[in-house]
Amino acid sequence: MNLAVRLGRATLIAIALVVALAPFVVLFLNSLRPADEFLSAGSGLVPSHITFEHYAEIFDPRGDTFRYLLNSLIITTTSTIIAVLLGAMAAYALARLKLPFRLSIVIGVMFLVIRFYPKITVALPYFLLMRQFNLLDTHLAVIIAHVSLTVPFVVWMLLAFFEDFPRELEQAAIVDGCGPIRRFMLIVVPLMTPALAAAAVLTAFMSWNEFLMASTVAPNFAKTLPVRISGFITDKGILWGSMSAMSSVIVIPVALFALFTQRYLARGLTVGAVKG
Amino acid sequence: MSIPGTIPETRRPVGLVARLERRLGETGILLLFLAPAMLVIAVAQFYPLASSAILSFFDWSLARSPTVGPFIGLDNYARTFKDPIFAGTVTFTIVFAISSTLLQLACGLGIALLTVGESYTLRFVRTLLMLPMVIAPIAVGTIWRMILAARVGPLNQGLAAIGIDGPNWLGDPMWAAFSLIMIDAWEWTPFVAVTLTAALTSLPGDLLRAASVDGAGRWKSFRYIVFPMILPVLVLVAMFRLIEAFLTLDIVFTTTAGGPGYATHTLSFWIYQQGLKYFNISYAAASSWIMLLACVGIALAFLAWRRQVGKWQVSR
Repeated sequence: MNLAVRLGRATLIAIALVVALAPFVVLFLNSLRPADEFLSAGSGLVPSHITFEHYAEIFDPRGDTFRYLLNSLIITTTSTIIAVLLGAMAAYALARLKLPFRLSIVIGVMFLVIRFYPKITVALPYFLLMRQFNLLDTHLAVIIAHVSLTVPFVVWMLLAFFEDFPRELEQAAIVDGCGPIRRFMLIVVPLMTPALAAAAVLTAFMSWNEFLMASTVAPNFAKTLPVRISGFITDKGILWGSMSAMSSVIVIPVALFALFTQRYLARGLTVGAVKG
Repeated sequence: MSIPGTIPETRRPVGLVARLERRLGETGILLLFLAPAMLVIAVAQFYPLASSAILSFFDWSLARSPTVGPFIGLDNYARTFKDPIFAGTVTFTIVFAISSTLLQLACGLGIALLTVGESYTLRFVRTLLMLPMVIAPIAVGTIWRMILAARVGPLNQGLAAIGIDGPNWLGDPMWAAFSLIMIDAWEWTPFVAVTLTAALTSLPGDLLRAASVDGAGRWKSFRYIVFPMILPVLVLVAMFRLIEAFLTLDIVFTTTAGGPGYATHTLSFWIYQQGLKYFNISYAAASSWIMLLACVGIALAFLAWRRQVGKWQVSR
């Protein structure tokens, strides 16, 4: 490659990096900016001095942020565990079942269809259903919704992996009299750990970030962080400082987590399109 | 399928799991494996979906009455199509979804071509470029709202520093629409890039080397070898992105809240307002079913296109 081409490539990559990352820098700097600087033009990108007042304010023990954070953690963890477990079981069943009338394909397509319709269609009746069950504003209502949204991804991702899974490994266990439960637990799951991790990472991100269903069924007590953030934009104006601090709380851990789990994340995202 | 008679009595496993496996048989257990996932989907997706379809034929506003009103046939649908705000919303959503998707495909393909490779630096660059996609869309909105703030936002201050009077990004109808397209493209270009990078990586290296030995130039080898080979993936990615852009809701909430006026109401946002703010349940249900059918139409068209692309590839 000659020098001009390499230089051009490096420049373009640098521009892409700036465009992708600058907003994160702006957010973080704003969360440390003194409140009075938000409304004055010409205050510059870097705050005149650094303050943690906004973090102190949102994490005021009398406030509710700790509860929202806890809600988000509970809902994300539980949804992820359930979605990966149920999804792995369902994908294994779909890969191994021999059903008549191509039923396996029909069920598989059923899972796929969930990606293709507006969730807003489901949100309202789901709200009414939860109201009927007296589950409004509970963790359970959000968890069921999140599992139903993420299980299809898990199933489709793992189906691709199960189809490549060497059946000889299971044959030996069958000869030894192992039924599907023990084969799944003792052979399939241990060997599929990377794929399961990829599914778990993707599910965790989706649940942590989800807004529509959470805002529909959990407006108060079980409120999650994304729903809380939307509340900062009021008719009376925007609480810039608290909003930046709260957004940093939801964004920065996820961004760091993404840096460490990049391999799994990339695999989870691409398996549907590239392998399928 | 278990093989009856092959397991000697003495080696036959005991215990709860083994007994369960024997009692239900291979197919029974596998069906049991499938059941919980199906149950969750049925309760939280398919039941609400069906119930929404049924509600769309009734007259029900939760603000007026706690119980479902009379059957009114297709009136909700007729009302939707006659609603001038709905028409404006549809127009905006289509323009938004198509522009944003095209922008993402172009930028994502560019980034994939620039950053494909296995060196440590490139892998790290790719990871960094992925970040906009992993954060909450709600937060994407708040971040850009800060950046685009007309008077005090860093973008307009930067423009002012070089003597340009920046527009009111989120306050002016045209600029607000433009800003939303940019924000959505910023957020989702990484998805296109990640997927296309995977597609590029999976291409046989010999083919490219053979092309360069043949003396095919960069552009030619891209145009006639690489592009046709990643086209099926590109079509799928375009479908996923177009449908999801069509359904955009979160970023509208925290940037423009649909405004100014109705200028940046996406369909999802409009239906959300109808259903969960004004509680016009049956009207929102009808509108959302119109949208659902449109989405299914888009998906089917793309899948048919991908089939064509696949056939065309095989025939070459």
